Amino acid sequence: MAEVVLENICKTYGNNFRAIDQLNLSVEDGEFLILVGPSGCGKSTALRMIAGLEDITSGSLRIGGTDVVDMPPKDRDIAMVFQSYALYPHMTVFENIAFSMRLAGKPKAERKKRVDEIAKTLQLTSLLDSKPANLSGGQRQRVAMGRAMVREPAAFLMDEPLSNLDAKLRVQMRAEITRLQKQLGVTTIYVTHDQTEAMTMGDRVAVLKGGVLQQVDTPKRLYESPVNAFVAGFIGSPSMNLFEATLTGGELMSGAFAIRLQDAAFVRRPGLKSYAGRKVVFGIRPEDLYDSSLESGRKYQTIPARVTSIEELGSEHIVHLNIDAVRVDSGDPDAVQDFGLTSNAVARFEPDSTVRSGSEIRLALDDTKLHFFDPETHLAI
Amino acid sequence: MTRQKRSHHKLKRAVAPYLYLSPSLLIIGLLMLLPMVTVIAYSFQNSAVLRRDPTFAGLKHYQAIFDDPVFWASLWHTLYFTCMSVIFHMTIGMVFALMLNSDRINPTLRNILRVLYILPWLFTAVIIAVIWRLLLEPNGVVNSILMQIGIIGSKVEWFSSPETALHAVTFANIWAGYPLFMVSLLAGLQGIPKDFYEAADIDGAKAYQKLIFITIPQLMPIIISISLLDFIWTMQVFPLIWITTGGGPIYSTEVLSTYTYKLAFSSYNLSQASASAVVILLISLGLTLFYIRYQKAR
Repeated sequence: MAEVVLENICKTYGNNFRAIDQLNLSVEDGEFLILVGPSGCGKSTALRMIAGLEDITSGSLRIGGTDVVDMPPKDRDIAMVFQSYALYPHMTVFENIAFSMRLAGKPKAERKKRVDEIAKTLQLTSLLDSKPANLSGGQRQRVAMGRAMVREPAAFLMDEPLSNLDAKLRVQMRAEITRLQKQLGVTTIYVTHDQTEAMTMGDRVAVLKGGVLQQVDTPKRLYESPVNAFVAGFIGSPSMNLFEATLTGGELMSGAFAIRLQDAAFVRRPGLKSYAGRKVVFGIRPEDLYDSSLESGRKYQTIPARVTSIEELGSEHIVHLNIDAVRVDSGDPDAVQDFGLTSNAVARFEPDSTVRSGSEIRLALDDTKLHFFDPETHLAI
Repeated sequence: MTRQKRSHHKLKRAVAPYLYLSPSLLIIGLLMLLPMVTVIAYSFQNSAVLRRDPTFAGLKHYQAIFDDPVFWASLWHTLYFTCMSVIFHMTIGMVFALMLNSDRINPTLRNILRVLYILPWLFTAVIIAVIWRLLLEPNGVVNSILMQIGIIGSKVEWFSSPETALHAVTFANIWAGYPLFMVSLLAGLQGIPKDFYEAADIDGAKAYQKLIFITIPQLMPIIISISLLDFIWTMQVFPLIWITTGGGPIYSTEVLSTYTYKLAFSSYNLSQASASAVVILLISLGLTLFYIRYQKAR
């Protein structure tokens, strides 16, 4: 077990493309850190640099206090779980798990003892003689975990290990990996583009965009206090609704509606006052929007909205809406504008909501949950 | 649909595949099966082809070739020629494929090498034979170079000396045949996921361990298939040997194909030549069955 420290790490490719720019990150001993971001943000590159599979252009990387920048992967005392699992198809589960011990020249009896222990932990005992082709996705994933565990490394590196599984199995494996990490207490850096995985698994989450670290924090703080519009839009599903409005006389004015702000909003964000008479970006999460005809929404102020479509999920309704406001792009390249340009907002309504597609409604919003960002820099106010 | 219509439809469906196959079956039957059966028949006849009413000879011609020391020498030369060719085709093909697949070689140099290495494949057997006859003749380039660097003291008559002729033709065949292995193995190497090597790097595998534990097992289906095919093809090589040495000197490069050819078209002993051809057929058939079984098992 060890602390992993990245200081001013940069990665520039031959064509002068900078994949990682001045990355500073400190992962505590035994911590489960998630690296998350949209496609091409540099999260896998960062992980591969920690593993030693990519050269570091500049900066320093320490694992367990040792500078490992010039060390080959095998000397870094890390183990990696690949997105494809990288299981050798010609070897059995036993041989796959024992591979690193075999390379290290460990005696057969020792290999068997250690693999048996791991197989028991991962419930793979009955599969030790099977080849990877005969295993299910979840079983292969566990074998890949076993292969990493057998080395008793100082740190686990996981590169989107659940992305090849179906949705149901992914939820199950999420819990299993989290349990294992807690049980083993090994420092773990886990890369994913799935923000649900990021929010549910990690002790802390590092959000990357375009090779630049945006924010490192606990999932709760990332959700509640995003440092900029990108983090606000990226964390949470469906994404936070971001709009442009003018702050006039304590109200957010946009098109045909105004949202009255309470004094507490200015007390919490003293900087907001300086935006009086100017444009500001405000954000509200889908779960902070309510159907005003239901009990839960009656206590909030309302704005007019038109329902464009509804996804009934049983436990909730995801309602796509159009409100008279200019939507702001959070800068997430993976985000898709919902249904072309017909809707510009998403709300999460209770399942007993009776709103119908095409109807004009009054949309209730909890103004204490509003987020504010600078319209130029997109930094949180 | 009435019962009659239904049974008519069933019959049409059953017959259709055979109708589609019939042109190719007819061609295979006429061009392959018929000559094969005829040769087998000749091998049991006296004065086959030469006489209108050949008599049944039983196993006489088989007995004759098995009693002929030249046949056994040919068989041994064929096995030596084939085994050495397959082993070196594989080894050279693998080394060059690994080299061309390596990231450490400059891409431009890699492209140039790719063209150079594949060149022997572009030549027909006749051209290869002529090239190597010129290179290996007593006053040729090879002797000159070997003498200059001190490996040989005097000119060697590579194709004319019984001690060196078989090695020389085998060498020429190795040179001509490795590109097929190289290309096949290179395609196989490019299909091995990079993750396997990266996982092995993290696990601490050295280069030779990656070769033994990942590359070779991953290439094994290609290695076995291509080796079996090469074995079958090389066993039947004729033009290269015929043009370079003609089976000589003193039968030192006589292989089953040249032995059979001479029986048929030099001695006009077509019955015995047919018996020899049947022996080649049986050996090839055994290898082919082995190949088919391996392919099915995969």
